Amino acid sequence: MTALIEVRDLVKEFPIRGEMFTRRGAGTVRAVGGVSFDVMEGETFGLVGESGCGKSTTARLMTRLLDPTSGTINFRGTDIASLSRKQLKPVRREMQMIFQDPYSSLNPRKTVGSIIAEPFLIHEVEKDEKARKTRVQSLMETVGLNPEHYNRLPHEFSGGQRQRIGIARAIALEPKLIVADEPVSALDVSIQAQVLNLLRDLQRDMGLTLVFIAHDLSVVRYMCDRVAVMYAGEIVELGESDQLYTAPTHEYTKQLLAAVPGQSTH
Amino acid sequence: MAPLLEVADLKVHFRTDDGVVQAVDGISYSVQPGQTLGIVGESGSGKSVSSMTVMGLTRSPKSDISGTVTFDGRDLLSASNEELRKVRGNDIAMIFQDPLSSLHPFYKIGKQLMEAVRTHRDVSKAQARDRAVEMLGLVGIPEPRRRIDSYPHEFSGGMRQRVMIAMALMNDPKLLIADEPTTALDVTVQAQILKLIKKLQTELGTAVVMITHDLGVVADVADEIAVMYAGRIVEHADKRTLFDAPRHPYTWGLLRSIPRLDTARDHVLVPIPGRPPSLITKPSGCAFNPRCVYATPESRTTDPVLLPTAPGSGHLVACTLSEEQRASTWKGIVGGEDPA
Repeated sequence: MTALIEVRDLVKEFPIRGEMFTRRGAGTVRAVGGVSFDVMEGETFGLVGESGCGKSTTARLMTRLLDPTSGTINFRGTDIASLSRKQLKPVRREMQMIFQDPYSSLNPRKTVGSIIAEPFLIHEVEKDEKARKTRVQSLMETVGLNPEHYNRLPHEFSGGQRQRIGIARAIALEPKLIVADEPVSALDVSIQAQVLNLLRDLQRDMGLTLVFIAHDLSVVRYMCDRVAVMYAGEIVELGESDQLYTAPTHEYTKQLLAAVPGQSTH
Repeated sequence: MAPLLEVADLKVHFRTDDGVVQAVDGISYSVQPGQTLGIVGESGSGKSVSSMTVMGLTRSPKSDISGTVTFDGRDLLSASNEELRKVRGNDIAMIFQDPLSSLHPFYKIGKQLMEAVRTHRDVSKAQARDRAVEMLGLVGIPEPRRRIDSYPHEFSGGMRQRVMIAMALMNDPKLLIADEPTTALDVTVQAQILKLIKKLQTELGTAVVMITHDLGVVADVADEIAVMYAGRIVEHADKRTLFDAPRHPYTWGLLRSIPRLDTARDHVLVPIPGRPPSLITKPSGCAFNPRCVYATPESRTTDPVLLPTAPGSGHLVACTLSEEQRASTWKGIVGGEDPA
């Protein structure tokens, strides 16, 4: 297996704002403190940790929605850590994100059809309007939406369906890599499994590489081949799912696993 | 033993511009002194509304409330607001999901804790302060004598929830209603808070109603579990029975759609198809029937009532299937047959 993305010594520091009108740049907070890992082609790689551990920042650095302070991100042979916006455009076709909140991540004034068609317009593929509509409707079908709902607005859909819209948009350009940041944590329990299974099926059928970020350890275990545990901006343990969950070595991983509720039954 | 809290045929309907929302549609349950009842359901199942109604918090010109709520021999539904105020925060205390919005940001936590006692009891400021320090220590706030003069923003989420629990317990309530108390917290903090609630319950003998969407959480703390769907209780059993021999297709769906740490990794989740119904226009018959793979023509026409699985049993199920059918279907699911 070859690595699709190689992250080395990735650091992100955010400036701390001083008190209003007084001290500027009161220092920096190190959200990601030098993480290194490879994501193999075709695997599902999990990033797990509690709030503030830097997992979402890492996701946004990998997809270059944020600029790293230092470090390299080697994506299919190119270091994308320092590319300009313009240089990044072709790379963006290859990597897409799915976000946690299916309410704020969709433009409420656009129809579902135009939301899913947007990647085609931005990257100037499928220029013919009719062909584009056909593509969009087949994408809707793929993610389990009714293609007839092409002209509806996001508010007409439930949370789970909205997340499907976000997924359709993410897979539109057939990217190599999808980074999903807490894609089911805003969904109701009975809906979560629908979306998890959809992502698993897409991953298998499209040969996608998936980076799956979540705070729920059982969900990560269900989805991922390998898992990295983050704490305070660093990866404290990284390993095969089976091994990490049955024989964790780091004290923090052990604590996390012990804290999962519901282990007293069954 | 007389139950501490007895809810019978409680209905809470809200009149809105879109129609009548049947948020709670005839539920009954009871809680014994010192016992923990877990109420599990998804958003919109009525789990929070039913508990808020117990506290009189859903009273409004736009709401219709019927049924009975008996607490410690008193009828709470017909109690005046004045009487209810004496009960709230005194005999019954409540903690909510978001500890930041439940605390006043402007006042030191000590002042807020003391207010909880002084509202209900004739005690001096010094006594109230001592009590506040004592309770903060009990819930595991380090250096309570110093921290009592801190503001809410100086605490982390987990610590704030501890403060809320301390506040809830200031007057030794007989019943604590905890509405998603750990949902906003990280998993390690959640484990600490659940442990704390359990410990306090054992030490103080408080009865607890734990409302959550998370079966794992009730598995850890509850003695009995009620599963709610579309404003009704669809299954009620002691914890062991609910996990080992569940009888309602919705409970099966929940159990089968949640990933667990102890199942094989290639074990595929079976989602519940569709989504919860509108509470304004509920499906005819059983409210779960459009999503139920075991639905029969009867479940589309007959609205099932909550009945014991066997005469005298405490295991209650609202489903039109017979107990034999349900038992054999569950056996098939456990055995790996998937009739779905």
